[in-house]
Amino acid sequence: MGERVLLIEDDSRLAEMVGEYLGKAGFHVVHAENGTRGLALHGREPVDAIILDLMLPDADGLDICRQIRARSDSPILMLTARGDPMDRVVGLEMGADDYLPKPFEPRELLARLRAILRRRHAGPKPDVLRYGRIEIDRGSREVRLDGAPQPLTGYQFALLLALAEHAGRVMSRDALMDLIKGEQMEAFDRSIDVHVSRIRAAIEDDPKKPRRVITVRGMGYVFAKAQD
Amino acid sequence: MRRLYLQVYLTIVASLILVVLTAGLLWHFGTAFPPFGQQFEVAGEIIAELVPPVEASPQAQQEAIDRLAQRVGADLALFSRTNEPLASAGRPLPPPGRSGRAGGWLRTADGPAIAIPLPDGRRLVARIPARQRPSALMLAAFLGAIALVVALGARPVVRRLTGRLERLQRGVESLGAGDLRARVKVEGRDEVARLAQSFNQAAARIEGLVDAHKMLLANASHELRTPLTRIRLGLELADTPSERKAELERDIAELDQLVDEILLVSRLDATEQLDVREDVDLTALAAEECARYDDCWVQGRPVTVRGDPTLLRRMIRNLVDNAHLHGQPPIEVTVDRQNDQAVLRVSDHGPVIPESARDRLFSMFYRIPGRSGPKGSGLGLALVKQITRRHGGDVAYDSERGSCFAVTLPAV
Repeated sequence: MGERVLLIEDDSRLAEMVGEYLGKAGFHVVHAENGTRGLALHGREPVDAIILDLMLPDADGLDICRQIRARSDSPILMLTARGDPMDRVVGLEMGADDYLPKPFEPRELLARLRAILRRRHAGPKPDVLRYGRIEIDRGSREVRLDGAPQPLTGYQFALLLALAEHAGRVMSRDALMDLIKGEQMEAFDRSIDVHVSRIRAAIEDDPKKPRRVITVRGMGYVFAKAQD
Repeated sequence: MRRLYLQVYLTIVASLILVVLTAGLLWHFGTAFPPFGQQFEVAGEIIAELVPPVEASPQAQQEAIDRLAQRVGADLALFSRTNEPLASAGRPLPPPGRSGRAGGWLRTADGPAIAIPLPDGRRLVARIPARQRPSALMLAAFLGAIALVVALGARPVVRRLTGRLERLQRGVESLGAGDLRARVKVEGRDEVARLAQSFNQAAARIEGLVDAHKMLLANASHELRTPLTRIRLGLELADTPSERKAELERDIAELDQLVDEILLVSRLDATEQLDVREDVDLTALAAEECARYDDCWVQGRPVTVRGDPTLLRRMIRNLVDNAHLHGQPPIEVTVDRQNDQAVLRVSDHGPVIPESARDRLFSMFYRIPGRSGPKGSGLGLALVKQITRRHGGDVAYDSERGSCFAVTLPAV
């Protein structure tokens, strides 16, 4: 028997489809059609993860999230609707481990579910920067894409971390050099641009068309802040 | 006091009473009333005892008048029944006229005089030397004192009335500024109090409607997207050929985008203020959005603005998407600073939009007449306009630089 997932979702047809899809991936899905039943099911039998819809007929998903979190540390993935006034931060503050806006890609649901389960098994890691599928682990100085560690040198990791810590801001080459000057340079003849190409090869789907580490001509680089 | 009109009316009446009282008091202590009415006849009876009878010699009458004038210190003149002068003392006095036996006031060049009828038909005209007439300064002081008393008396009443109106005005202003919880204290039971009550009711209703609208928007977003999610999942579960699947996924994305834009337009219409305000690197945001297309370049320099990063991202995305959809590559995005304004330009190499169409470019669902080609949601540019306005900026079509949209926003 695979890992048990409690799905609290009022749309029974959607729940059925999610059950079937996740079932094919080896999960066992238990469905609750409202918050009260979800809480009761959660109290009765142990589950490995919870997928929780933000909008339920009898309760606010955030409330349910808080109540579950008060009595267990099961990982919670919240389903929201894109453009919901609810900020992602609010959901995460209530104790959700991740959130996924509807309409989601089924594969993304699977990836996120596996990610929260993996993180839960690995124990809490507060020192991790997370941007979409990328995890930058400051503790182990490791970068992971979809959970898989990517080969980067110490210098390249420092460069990526400097960029990610200033996500959403254009960083000039000089500013980046300043931030990582304490790092051991492996090869003096390589400019920052070469290291950026290596980083892209490690984390971008298509390094030729980077979406995460972007060049701004005449100015420097920007680490994209967008989560998706 | 219950009614406003009554308050105003009573204030005026009270002011008038105050004027009368003040004037009366001042008059009482400042001047004396001259005798009038029947007193003239009574005085005539007494005077008849002091002057010789009508048959007496003119000399005797003259002596009596002289004596009397000296004693009372006044100008006197005695006239016969037919207004013939019989005797006089002091400055000359005019005859009393032919008004019969009645006594009364006479107007003379040297001040007011009185005519007193004697029982035998003669009449004595007397003029008491006038006291000094009040000077202009005295008059001004007299009126000034009245004005001061009225002003001091009316002030607290008027202040109470306008004070409540001012509080009401402040309430209306804060509601207008977007504070939907603004209410005013209901004081008294008059029209102003009823107005305050009506305002509170109206404000409560507006707050309720806006809340309901927000709730509807939040629910609509969720309710519309749940079936979209089902379609997407169904597509994954069904054995669909990959080409057809990709096409259907694009359709779903398009529908999702449309839902998103309609809801965003409504949400921006419903609220005046930005939910989030933080420093945003506009250049970095433009670079992120440009990275979505192969033929899009960003140049300029780092400029920071203050606002909602999600909305600002949407603004840039819509402009870039618009250039991609309706213009010709490459797309150039420049971010610059001019004085205290951030200027973001998105230009492409497509044909310039005709002048006749520019006025309506930012209207919802507007499509340039005669243009074929791909169709967007029709809300993209309208949203750009709403977002820039909400951030205290504006957007315009700038044909000087080819086909170009220029956004200005207050820079940090």
